[in-house]
Amino acid sequence: MEFVSPVGLRLDGRRPQELRAMRAQLGVLASADGSALFEMGNTKVLAAVFGPKPVEQRSREDEKRAVVRCEYAMAAFSTGERRRRGKADRRATEITKAIRNTIEQTILTELLPRSQVDVYVQVLQADGGTRCACINAAFLALAAAAVPMCDMVASCAAGYLESTPLLDLNYTEDAGGGPDVAVAIHPNLGDRLVLLQQDSRLAVDTFEEVLELAVAGCRKVAEFMRQTLLEHTQGLAAQRAAGDAAAEAAGGGGGGGSDEELDADDF
Amino acid sequence: MAAVAVKPTEPEVGKCVCPGDAVLALPETGVVRIGGGLQQEGAVLVASKAGVVRQAPRTGKLWVEPRQKRYIPSAEDAVVGRIIDKHSENYGVDIGAPFRALLPVLAFEGATKRNRPNLQVGDLVYARVESAHRDLEPVLSCTDAAGKASGFAHLKGGTVVEVSTTHARALLSRPPAAVLSALGRALQFEMAVGQNGRVWLDAPSPATVILVANAIQSSEFLSPAQQEHLVAALLRGSSAAAAAAARQRQQQQADGQQQEQQQGSGGDGK
Repeated sequence: MEFVSPVGLRLDGRRPQELRAMRAQLGVLASADGSALFEMGNTKVLAAVFGPKPVEQRSREDEKRAVVRCEYAMAAFSTGERRRRGKADRRATEITKAIRNTIEQTILTELLPRSQVDVYVQVLQADGGTRCACINAAFLALAAAAVPMCDMVASCAAGYLESTPLLDLNYTEDAGGGPDVAVAIHPNLGDRLVLLQQDSRLAVDTFEEVLELAVAGCRKVAEFMRQTLLEHTQGLAAQRAAGDAAAEAAGGGGGGGSDEELDADDF
Repeated sequence: MAAVAVKPTEPEVGKCVCPGDAVLALPETGVVRIGGGLQQEGAVLVASKAGVVRQAPRTGKLWVEPRQKRYIPSAEDAVVGRIIDKHSENYGVDIGAPFRALLPVLAFEGATKRNRPNLQVGDLVYARVESAHRDLEPVLSCTDAAGKASGFAHLKGGTVVEVSTTHARALLSRPPAAVLSALGRALQFEMAVGQNGRVWLDAPSPATVILVANAIQSSEFLSPAQQEHLVAALLRGSSAAAAAAARQRQQQQADGQQQEQQQGSGGDGK
């Protein structure tokens, strides 16, 4: 199979350094404290956050920081062939750990001692890059739940096929046997690496090239997520501001004094 | 996206921010008061939540206001709690926070060791958060700072509905939210709004309670005009309004009949 045509186009018509089209929606689950639906091309992932809440198992309670629990699952209908996977699936366990470590480094856990934050991620449609989409969806869900975080976390993967570094592999390219480097960064903290995983083998110089491409992809993902979050917040604020402004106009100066009562030293 | 390039020297109040965005470059000297949602990273104040930057007019305190459902306790908040434990010295109260709160048995107006309040497990209380340090369990009190009850008490009967904490704050603001004034004009009910996102409601008929709960929960993102429309639409199709109107008519009749010194049936609605 030819992954990069002589003209320089990939199997789905993208250029080697092009990301797939992304879409995100916040607040899709009414019962969760925060939820997000994130799509990268055909990969579709749903994340739900519950917390900060009391720790369920007292033995796990940490008096200095919050406990972060994560669960990753692939729906039976997410791949081409319907396959029911158990939660103890080895691949799922490994991805769960990767996601959990990434978001644990992003959440300001010292601000929420003796509490627990649960993050559930479900893959609804899998077309390569599921762990990256899961991390991005988890971040958006955490932001929607107003869990304090030190920075955004954006994740993207890159590979190397037919001597070309390729950004954001889909399933067919991933199954092509080449290396797959998955990266997550904190963009505002100097592109600090939070997650770095690789399948298969890669020469060291090529690795640097592929890593740089993946980090550039992460930055673009971060920009997209930032826009999504700002639009979501602006939408909510505009609706409430219309209410506040009209109420203030009707009630005179009463609205100004209420600002102080409404603020809170909450973390 | 490059590392933070813009370090504003004046906070842009009303601006929406993301976690990791720089909100203010801290000055060399002086005091900057911050509330929730902001962290200090070296010489810059960085947002830790997605929300709108707000500033209190009098103290100049900066904070980020997100739309949050979970409640993180802070001092001087009024909350609706449910008693889950009874000890000799205090009650354990669930206020929806990451920890159970404690309500001392003596923290009621006029309570002494011999004159204890009679609260059971499962009762609802409206209390004030007296202290909320993040490492300790929050302590509640059913009196205000001066020791008077001022509305904090055991809530008898009624039901509790849940809203987001941001909406609860909007319901507590002055002047009252449009939905509450519209409901108050048409119906009779009792309400206690907790800043932990719980609202206690009680009314003579269940239909009224359901109508009020419906109106409050649906009005979070509506403008005042829309809230009035919502309440009007709910009242039009409901039996609660009809019952309230019927009760008002009976009351007027009863007043008229009392003037003639006749014992009317059905008498005075309260």
